[in-house]
Amino acid sequence: MNRKHKSDFGILFATIGLMVLGLIVIYAIGPMRANVLNSTYGTNYGANDFFFGQLRSVFLSLVAFVLAFKVIPYDLIKKLAKPIMIVAILASVLLWILAESGSSLAKCELGECRWYNLGPVSFQPAELLKVALVIYLADFLTRKKEEGSIGKFKEFWLPLIIVCGLSLGLVVVAQGDLGTGVALMAIIFGTLLASGVPMKQYLIMLAIVLVVAVGAIATSSHRMQRIYAWLDTISGAASSDSTYHIENAMLAIGTGGLFGAGIGNSVQATGYLPESINDSVFAIMGETFGFVGLFIVIAVFGAMLLRMLKVAEHTSGQNERLLIVGVFSWTLAQVAVNIMAMTGLVPVTGITLPLLSYGGTSMIFISFAIGLVLQLSCYTSREVVKNEDISSRRGVGRTHYSSRRRRS
Amino acid sequence: MSRINILKKTVFVALAIIAVRLFFIQIVEHDMWVAKANEKHTILETISPKRGEIYMMDGNEPVAVVLNQTVYSVVIDPAVTSKEDIKKALETHAKKYITANLDEVYNIEGLRYYIVAKNVPYTNAVAIAEEGISSVWLKEGNARVYPEGEMASGMLGFVNADGLGQYGTEGSLNKILTGKEGTLKTIADVNKVALSIGSDNIKIPAEDGKNIVLSVDRNLEKGIEERAINAINNTAADHAAVLVMDPNTGVVLAMANLPNYDPANYGHVKDASAYINQVTEVPYEPASICKSFTYSAAINEGKMNGATTYFNRHFEVVDDWKIWNAETRSSLYGEISMMDALYWSLNTGSIHALKLLGDNPDEINQKGREKLYDYYHNKFRLGRATGIELIEAEGYIEDPNEGWGRNSTYANMTFGQNLGITMIQTATAFSAVINGGYWRTPSIVKGTLEKNGEIKPLENRETVEEQILSSETSSIMRDLLINNRSWKVRNGTDRPGYSIGGKTGTAQVIVNGSYDNEMNNLIGSYMGFIGTAGEMPSYVVMIKMWGEGQAIGSGDAMDLFDSLSRYIIDYYKIKPKA
Repeated sequence: MNRKHKSDFGILFATIGLMVLGLIVIYAIGPMRANVLNSTYGTNYGANDFFFGQLRSVFLSLVAFVLAFKVIPYDLIKKLAKPIMIVAILASVLLWILAESGSSLAKCELGECRWYNLGPVSFQPAELLKVALVIYLADFLTRKKEEGSIGKFKEFWLPLIIVCGLSLGLVVVAQGDLGTGVALMAIIFGTLLASGVPMKQYLIMLAIVLVVAVGAIATSSHRMQRIYAWLDTISGAASSDSTYHIENAMLAIGTGGLFGAGIGNSVQATGYLPESINDSVFAIMGETFGFVGLFIVIAVFGAMLLRMLKVAEHTSGQNERLLIVGVFSWTLAQVAVNIMAMTGLVPVTGITLPLLSYGGTSMIFISFAIGLVLQLSCYTSREVVKNEDISSRRGVGRTHYSSRRRRS
Repeated sequence: MSRINILKKTVFVALAIIAVRLFFIQIVEHDMWVAKANEKHTILETISPKRGEIYMMDGNEPVAVVLNQTVYSVVIDPAVTSKEDIKKALETHAKKYITANLDEVYNIEGLRYYIVAKNVPYTNAVAIAEEGISSVWLKEGNARVYPEGEMASGMLGFVNADGLGQYGTEGSLNKILTGKEGTLKTIADVNKVALSIGSDNIKIPAEDGKNIVLSVDRNLEKGIEERAINAINNTAADHAAVLVMDPNTGVVLAMANLPNYDPANYGHVKDASAYINQVTEVPYEPASICKSFTYSAAINEGKMNGATTYFNRHFEVVDDWKIWNAETRSSLYGEISMMDALYWSLNTGSIHALKLLGDNPDEINQKGREKLYDYYHNKFRLGRATGIELIEAEGYIEDPNEGWGRNSTYANMTFGQNLGITMIQTATAFSAVINGGYWRTPSIVKGTLEKNGEIKPLENRETVEEQILSSETSSIMRDLLINNRSWKVRNGTDRPGYSIGGKTGTAQVIVNGSYDNEMNNLIGSYMGFIGTAGEMPSYVVMIKMWGEGQAIGSGDAMDLFDSLSRYIIDYYKIKPKA
């Protein structure tokens, strides 16, 4: 391993900056959200309840971030990859059992049971599953590579399909959470791509999964409805209840213009746009900060994502590199799918915008994951490590060790 | 290509697509989205002005007789509001204001807004609000309050559920009372609550309606109504209308339509005719009261005076119609003075005056008809709107030349039949007869009550003051009218030291197109004046009494006048001549 040096400043800066921006936005629109909920559902939210909620989430996220960044050595996490994955799967299985048995410990909204009800707080096991899968895949793919069994059906594909299929099944079918399903798929195929799976097998598997996904969508009237709503919206067909969300998201973004209406001047947040503080926060930011503001936001995300890849390129260990690619894939999927849904480019799947959306569990776990990336960014080498392809595995390994010896 | 590079390119492609898309939505389509947003976010509301209040006079002080009260409508969102809670709250705090059947309301699917109680007073509304039931709103509104109850309802009118003044003062002065609506154009949240976001919000405040001060004296009105109700209760009449005015100014001091109705519950009235102001809106035949006008015309033209005589045969034949006197006692047969003819209210007397107007004591001619028309229509302004600030009917005066049977029609007109005139027209004309000959536009509105307490006369009001009779004519007429009550003086009804004059009128009612000679339907009227002896009269009082299918003679009206004249003398402390 390379000598420890300073972490990647770009990722650190982007992470903290996005969290602060999220806090500002929630501070501005939280009172409107509280007002809407109070007058529509008779709830009793205080004006700043959402801000303090977000503040709490940011605090907990920073704790998770620091734990992953500075406290818990990645080598320990690496060793615990399997138990973490088992715990994560069991957490989702248990939730499913609780939901099926009608226990009050399972918190359900609109018929989907995705949360544990733990008194004042709730916990979404799907978020744990994401980070667990990233850690597990990094471990699994590295082990298989070292065993030389990558690409073999029995040793490689079968266990991989079982673990991934189980995870996806729990999230998409049991929890009805298509958004997390998309994120898991991105994690799986992102890390697979970087793991050195033969390209032909990779593409075949990707094709198979896409066919299955299309089939799953076409056979579900609920999912087809989202597709139709999306098609109706982009074609400008008549408005309906199902096109309401996308229409209002685009209305918010469109009214923002070049510079936006300014903080506290969002009208769409006063009840017109559903999920204004969670999944739709990007649209509210579009209304508030305009094209310039959104451009900066996506530039920050883009810079962060590219810095992650940069760290990956300069990371020597296969496991470590795959973990970074996993976190990268996860982040990219959430950013791209969330924003594309808000701009009518893809159907709405219900996925949060990392670090910006209101909501505890998702922010805590992605902060933890980014924290791990930052921990690993302290051990990069100067040169690009050229060992990512299966063909160059051995040779590169040798230079890697020699370079390490030279340095230390 | 390195696989990490594939991921890098993925980032670039994904973010580039998003950036282009954002540019398209935020820059290219910006105006379209702004237009859509305006349509969606903007609410245009009218701000209701406060309706003006109505005052009467109490001595020299205006006193409110129609007030505003802020009342509340209770609105619920059946999708959220708990049915049991709101039901309990309404029944506890506002039971008599409930306007909806909650069971039915909660059966309507998708209903998000419903008014369940109306006209709830402040304290009751607060009690409901304090229950803290979710999604219950109070909507502010205005209701009229009548501290004097039903008093003067026919003259005041009422305000309907849409806030429009109906009938009476509320109707005729609706525009002044209403004021001007303001406008609120604002960005609103999804629940239509105005937001302070945006710079295009416009607020034009409402201009409140003016408070109207009537010249009517509240206490006089009350006293007169009490006595009129008493008269109704003690006679066959079931209706009475009374007008008191100052003959020297045309100012109305009391205007009563009895029985009253409750303007706060105007909907409970069984017959909508109860809303009609009999004094200004109903032309009728005041009958022999009009003899004063015929006499005035002939005297003013120098054709006669009280001592002028003619031969009374109890009847006159005109256009083959035999017109009888109501009083046919044998002692009146033969040569009789015009003064006595008026005292006994002989139709032949007033017909003789018409003949004199045509310079032919033996028959009615065109000249006489035209002269009478000139006085009735042009000078006394009968059959024409007077210009009082209330809703008025015009009525009609027959043309002197056009049409069949002009002579008989005009003969009838000399004693107040075959015409249609309102009480206010009659009383205004009568005021001219006794006040020295001046016709003045009557008025019932003193003005608007301004913030500084000043009463400002209504703007743009056209009034007329015209001398139509000589002061000598008026003086002779006063004497004749006082002479009419000589028996009342001898009898002790009229107190000494006062000049009280008057004229009865008993009108046959047209039944099925012709006058009912069976006399089963009569309207009794009385017109009189009151003042200190030897001075100009101070008050004119007109009374009309009637009942469905009842023969109400002028006697009943005269009895009411007798009691009112005493009341007015006491109320205004009119001093007798020393």
